[in-house]
Amino acid sequence: MLEVRNLSFAYRRTPVLRDVSFVASPGEVVAVVGGNGAGKTTLMRLLATVMVPDGGAILSDGVDAFGYPLRYRRQLGYLAEDPQPYEDMTVKEYLAYRALLKGEPAKRVRRRVSEASDMCRIDGLMRSTIRNLSRGQKKRVALADALLLRPRVLLLDDFLAGLDHEMRDVAGAVLSEAAAFSSVIVTGHELEDLARWTTRFVVLKGGVISTVIPSVGVEPADLVARVRGALTGGES
Amino acid sequence: MSAVSVTCRRTLGRLRNLLSTGLSVAGFLAASAGLFAYRLVEAEGSNQLVTVLWASATAPFLPVLAALLGMAVWSEERRTGRLDDLLSTAVRERDFVLGKVSGVFLALLLSAALSLVLCFGLLAVQAPEALSNVRLVQYVPAVAILALQAALWSATAVAVSAFSRQAFVAASITTGLLVALPRGFWLAAENLAPSGRLAFGEMPLDAHVVDFASGVISSGVIIGYLVLTLLALFVASKVVALARFPGRRGRLFRASTAVAVVLAVVCAVVAMRLAVRLDVVFDLPIGAPTVVSPQLQNLLSEASGQVTVTAFVSRKDPSYRPLAHTLRTIKRQSDAAGGPTLTLRFVDPRWDLGAADRLVRLGATESSVVFEKGHRVSVLPLADGFGDGLIATALRRVVLPPQRQDIYWTVGHGESSVESYDTRGLSDIARELVRSGFRNRQLDLLEVRSIPADCALIVVAGARESFSRAELSRLDAYLRGGGRLLVLMGPPGESGVSSLLPSWGIRSLRPSFAGTRTLSGSDVIVSDFAVHPVTEGLADARLVLERPLAFTASAAAQGGTGVDRLAFVSVARVATATVVAAVERGSAMGADLAVRPTRLVAIGDPTFVMNGQLASRANANRDCFLNAVAYLAGTEAVGHAGTSAVQLMTGMDRMLRARHALFSVVVLPLAVFVFMSLVVWRRSRRT
Repeated sequence: MLEVRNLSFAYRRTPVLRDVSFVASPGEVVAVVGGNGAGKTTLMRLLATVMVPDGGAILSDGVDAFGYPLRYRRQLGYLAEDPQPYEDMTVKEYLAYRALLKGEPAKRVRRRVSEASDMCRIDGLMRSTIRNLSRGQKKRVALADALLLRPRVLLLDDFLAGLDHEMRDVAGAVLSEAAAFSSVIVTGHELEDLARWTTRFVVLKGGVISTVIPSVGVEPADLVARVRGALTGGES
Repeated sequence: MSAVSVTCRRTLGRLRNLLSTGLSVAGFLAASAGLFAYRLVEAEGSNQLVTVLWASATAPFLPVLAALLGMAVWSEERRTGRLDDLLSTAVRERDFVLGKVSGVFLALLLSAALSLVLCFGLLAVQAPEALSNVRLVQYVPAVAILALQAALWSATAVAVSAFSRQAFVAASITTGLLVALPRGFWLAAENLAPSGRLAFGEMPLDAHVVDFASGVISSGVIIGYLVLTLLALFVASKVVALARFPGRRGRLFRASTAVAVVLAVVCAVVAMRLAVRLDVVFDLPIGAPTVVSPQLQNLLSEASGQVTVTAFVSRKDPSYRPLAHTLRTIKRQSDAAGGPTLTLRFVDPRWDLGAADRLVRLGATESSVVFEKGHRVSVLPLADGFGDGLIATALRRVVLPPQRQDIYWTVGHGESSVESYDTRGLSDIARELVRSGFRNRQLDLLEVRSIPADCALIVVAGARESFSRAELSRLDAYLRGGGRLLVLMGPPGESGVSSLLPSWGIRSLRPSFAGTRTLSGSDVIVSDFAVHPVTEGLADARLVLERPLAFTASAAAQGGTGVDRLAFVSVARVATATVVAAVERGSAMGADLAVRPTRLVAIGDPTFVMNGQLASRANANRDCFLNAVAYLAGTEAVGHAGTSAVQLMTGMDRMLRARHALFSVVVLPLAVFVFMSLVVWRRSRRT
């Protein structure tokens, strides 16, 4: 379970996040939405411990992300907003490298790479050099990287951007599959797609959580309408 | 597999896949090989080790290569935003840094190893002579110091790369930090504050390479490099960690990092000061084992008393190490033989100003060895070499009663003058003879009725005009009475004493020297010697005859004359042509020991010991000449090559040198570049 308590962050004197708190249980897919500059990517980078917050805490199964960062990061899978896998490597080399870097024993690397590539439907790309892949394909490779060690916390920042409809369906399937072993936090602007797979929407406005909208039992169209309303200020 | 090794492999893989790496490595190979080839020519005939030349030619370019290979290691990660991928993994910043530094370090080491293989491989093919004295153990300290420096350069390059988003900026800063700053500082100190520079001695980075490669291993230097490398790693880790703190907490973290870095620098300085203070120096027996000549052994066993031997030479001087090695060997020999108690001192003119001042007042100049016993002082300038024969002579002058013998140099026939200091003069060899206990005098055979009684020997040094009959008859009479004559044969034809020599078994020849080994095309290299006192110690050396003249040497009609062919070359039509010969008559009359045998040595080159010839240390002409003088004067040899340290002899002529330079600077680096480009091209063609 991922627990975020009173997280706050500011770039110099500009506050970006204030008192952000929420919980994501295993099996949950939490979508963090908001307009440009709402603090989504900052939140994801803080959750990934790429940045250190000014205040607050992040706990994964009770492990403090900044007290025991290595233990926390071992439970983490992170897809950055604009992933840049090493372009001179083949997909297979890259995923093997990332698995080894994340501490996976060498004898299990092949299996892990195979599982992740199956999940993200990139079997056919394994021998391709990343330089030659499209943006969407690169994103799937990066997604496979995030899923490599079946993380307990999966952070996907704007992961639908650049994917066509077919690929979005694939990504949705991956998301559902990943939710079986992870607490998943996603960000994005594709509300219709997100509404199909998420269990909860967290709406960020001006660095604070304005609304939390559960999506279980709600029709996707209604859900999107409510989220849109929250984003534009119609619902509080 | 640890994160460090995974990152290291990735860094190496990334470097392999870059075309710029091939270009950088090829440039490095060309530059280091070019400097090596240049230094090889410069050091021809010197006592320098070829491994020292290679290490000192490679070391200056390693920091530049480190800057080029390490420039993108972090800056590219920062610029592309890939840093987030790395920082979100369960790997410490220091492990990333260590992995990346290891990758750059291994790339540097591989490049240096490639340079070693190419330089020495080429030398093995083109000039195997140069490697004849090189032993495997000599490579170890040379590679070790380059590895120590490479570790520091890699860590610094990676640390600088962590600061910058632009690879080019990182490379420029690193080059400035590692190359321009230390060398600029030294240059400025030398020109603007020479007195301040005295406190530092020579340029440390270069001196470390020369010292280690020569076998002088200093614990202080090792610790210094390791401490600085750790400091650079620490700074790099902290800079990478700073990326996690762009927020308000960053201010606090930056302040604490700055304090930590300052503390680390203070600790590093203290550790290095301690390392220098408690320095332990190991002198590895890297060079050829020093052999003490029988003459010196005799002297050591005959003499007694307290002798102070001071090497007045800068540590920067390339002869410092071999000299120290030779002196220590002689001291051990003296202790073992129960000879004089030798006290060795080493005075660096740049450091030990008080001691240097005293030595200057004794008449010593920088780069010399001073022997002192009571009030007697003998100075041996290193410019003349320091074979143990020369050391024996210098030692003899302070431990044995003085004795002088006179050498008479003929004049009036176009001979070279012992008073002439130009390249055609003989002042250098004359000075050396004075130091060896001889007095040089001029002899005009037309003005004397007979040869002076104190004449130890007569030298005819390349007379261009023929001697008159009266002169020849005086010389002949002198020889028949047990005289000693050393002839540097003049130009071909009737010149000098050429008409006198046939009666002593020596006749001039005019063979073509085409096909013989040569340096410039007109000279001749001689390396075949017979066993004789005149050629003692020359077995591994060579003579260079600028204007070679050959002669046949055979026993003359006169009975009791022995003619020895001492040095010869193979030439067309004449099988072998003799260029140095010795004649002895009367030694068979051993029953009457009072009878002094006649001795004559002929050398087929009028320029044999001219100043210009001796200035090049690529020959053993001086030693051969001094041996001949000792043989003729009946003294012990005053100096010969091959007993102190390795003589660097490539045996390459001008053409071979040009070919060597072409291959080492152009062909082989180009081949490496093409190979690495092919690897990159092959990978880029994959779909």
